[in-house]
Amino acid sequence: MDTRQLLIDTAERIFSDHCDKAVLDAAERGEFPERLWNVVRENGFHELAMADSGVDLKDAFAVIRVAGRHALPLPMVEILLANRWLQSSAELAVIGRLEGDRIADVPWAGNAKRALGIDWEGADGVSTSVSVEEIGTARNVAAESRDGLPVMAGAQPLGLNEPAFEMLALGRVASMAGCLERILELSLQYANEREQFGRPISKFQAIQHNLAIVAGEVAAASRAADAAIDALEGDRFALEVAAAKARVGEAAGIVAESAHQVHGAMGFTHEHQLHHFTRRVWAWRDEYGNEAFWQERLGRHLAGIGAEKVWDFLATRG
Amino acid sequence: MVVRFVLQFDRISLPEDSPALRAEVREFLAAESEHLARPNSDFGTGHDPAFSRKLGARGWIGMTWPKQYGGAERSFFERYVVTEELLAAGAPVSAHWIADRQSGPLLLRFGTDAQREAYVPPIARGESYFSIGMSEPNTGSDLASVRTTAKRTGDGWLINGTKLWTSEAHRNHYMITLVRTDAPSDNRHAGLSQIIVDLKNDGARIRPIRNIAGSEDFNEVVFEDVLVPEDRIVGEPGNGWQQVTSELAYERAGPERFLSAFRVFVELVRAAGEAPEPQLAAAIGRIAAHLMALRRMSISVAGMLEDGQSPEVEAALVKGLGNDFEKLLPEVARLAVPTGPGAEHRRFRQTFADTLLLSPAFTIRGGTREILRGVIARGLGLR
Repeated sequence: MDTRQLLIDTAERIFSDHCDKAVLDAAERGEFPERLWNVVRENGFHELAMADSGVDLKDAFAVIRVAGRHALPLPMVEILLANRWLQSSAELAVIGRLEGDRIADVPWAGNAKRALGIDWEGADGVSTSVSVEEIGTARNVAAESRDGLPVMAGAQPLGLNEPAFEMLALGRVASMAGCLERILELSLQYANEREQFGRPISKFQAIQHNLAIVAGEVAAASRAADAAIDALEGDRFALEVAAAKARVGEAAGIVAESAHQVHGAMGFTHEHQLHHFTRRVWAWRDEYGNEAFWQERLGRHLAGIGAEKVWDFLATRG
Repeated sequence: MVVRFVLQFDRISLPEDSPALRAEVREFLAAESEHLARPNSDFGTGHDPAFSRKLGARGWIGMTWPKQYGGAERSFFERYVVTEELLAAGAPVSAHWIADRQSGPLLLRFGTDAQREAYVPPIARGESYFSIGMSEPNTGSDLASVRTTAKRTGDGWLINGTKLWTSEAHRNHYMITLVRTDAPSDNRHAGLSQIIVDLKNDGARIRPIRNIAGSEDFNEVVFEDVLVPEDRIVGEPGNGWQQVTSELAYERAGPERFLSAFRVFVELVRAAGEAPEPQLAAAIGRIAAHLMALRRMSISVAGMLEDGQSPEVEAALVKGLGNDFEKLLPEVARLAVPTGPGAEHRRFRQTFADTLLLSPAFTIRGGTREILRGVIARGLGLR
């Protein structure tokens, strides 16, 4: 078995054991998932993207994808990449968007010791200590912590030499791919169990066709995510991320909508687990650039290439 | 119990040497521009025997077939490269397309030595074209309900019945015809066979049917006591159902299932110019993002086939998704180019119109959207 599969299987097992609805509910009430964080640290998942981890960076994103499958209430993308860019995993560090002298959309700022602010346009960022008194708390539609905080005196420039914004967007792509897969599985399971008119609703053609559409979107999202992960550290990385974030984001809307339709009123309750996954893909498709943002970026590049060369771009190996 | 998602699209890329072959095809197409006056990426549009013969001479028809029968013994991936290049350029490929994709492989797999020697080399030369005789007036998606019969007589097979929607029957040389050779029984899939009909000489009556684009591409083919020789049967009598379903994965996941509208995209990019407005750029990016994912899924299926697997459900999924994309593409493009005062974008409008009028067929031919969704649902364990 190759390293990646071994990592995926290990992560799958550990996340299954330690992330259930109670953990998700508590995190969404604002309680930092301390036990889960300890499990992640004990297993070294938080160090997977570090240059000296001994693990291919692509494999780290494969683990992020598994975290997405479980709607893991820890900001794995921001933790893994913060440790990579700080070249340290000594303390909990997370990432947000640098806006002048503030950093926005920082997950669990109050629990972190350090925050990185990434400049989306300038491709660099700063590393700052965190002052708990000055945090403004906020959440996304999945009730995931997205706080704001000031850049403190003594903050250091990161000196990044890789496309940080695109890598963060890739993190969301990988998370969404895993999460969408899970939403399909939940929907299949529910359709097979729920009976109406004396038979499982999965036996109705209308339901079957909706789920076939969902399967198509999930498969496309999955393949697009794999392609973008494979493009890491390559020439076309930024454009592959653009294509993947656009495609996976589009799939997210279709899949979440149909999954709720299949689940009926049950899936609309807070008690059911479906919303932990659907609200996350709704949030994640808008974070680090939504479909419109990445479509435009990819489209501009292709317009620059011109009509006669556009096929050559699409047909390039990879 | 946790249901696991079962469909798998492996991370497969085309082999390293494909750029050379790609360049060869592009060079060829540049030299044959006379055949590309009105490019159309739909595989069913553009019947051009002269062009097909040129492709045959280059060894680009029957590429994967044994050399003994005129093939080039190249890989399935190499065939993929050539076919997607032809479609992307909008080359006229309809004459030989079915013979190359379907009839040749069927004859190589199930035909007799004599049939292979007689029929396959002319296909590879781009000289002999085949139609698929499956649908009938009362048989569309429910293929097992075919009523056309073939009775064995002392002189051969006596065929009676009607085939419908038979693409290119009025232009092609042969039709591999699905017929009932035994009376219907409890097993609906039993008693079917495939027979080669010579469309020019056997006496079948062929009537072209005008489509909504105003052209005559598909036909009604009527058999009234049409007698064909004994040796025209393909494979074992009664094995027809297995034969027609065995090649579905090859038929369903190729580049022709998502590239039919591609020239509209090329013209959209041309109309956009170098620095388009945000909305127009986003339309281009959206289409490209879909296309990149679909192409990779299609190549994944090609890889699984090359690997000896039978990804029937994955192929149905790619076809379904690809066909829907073929309809999404022109619509997204249309709305990205406002009509009103200003630039006419005549070339874009013409290409759009050509594709729009063909588009209803995209989600019908080769398995309707609804049939494909049923296949996917079965693969998901819902049926």
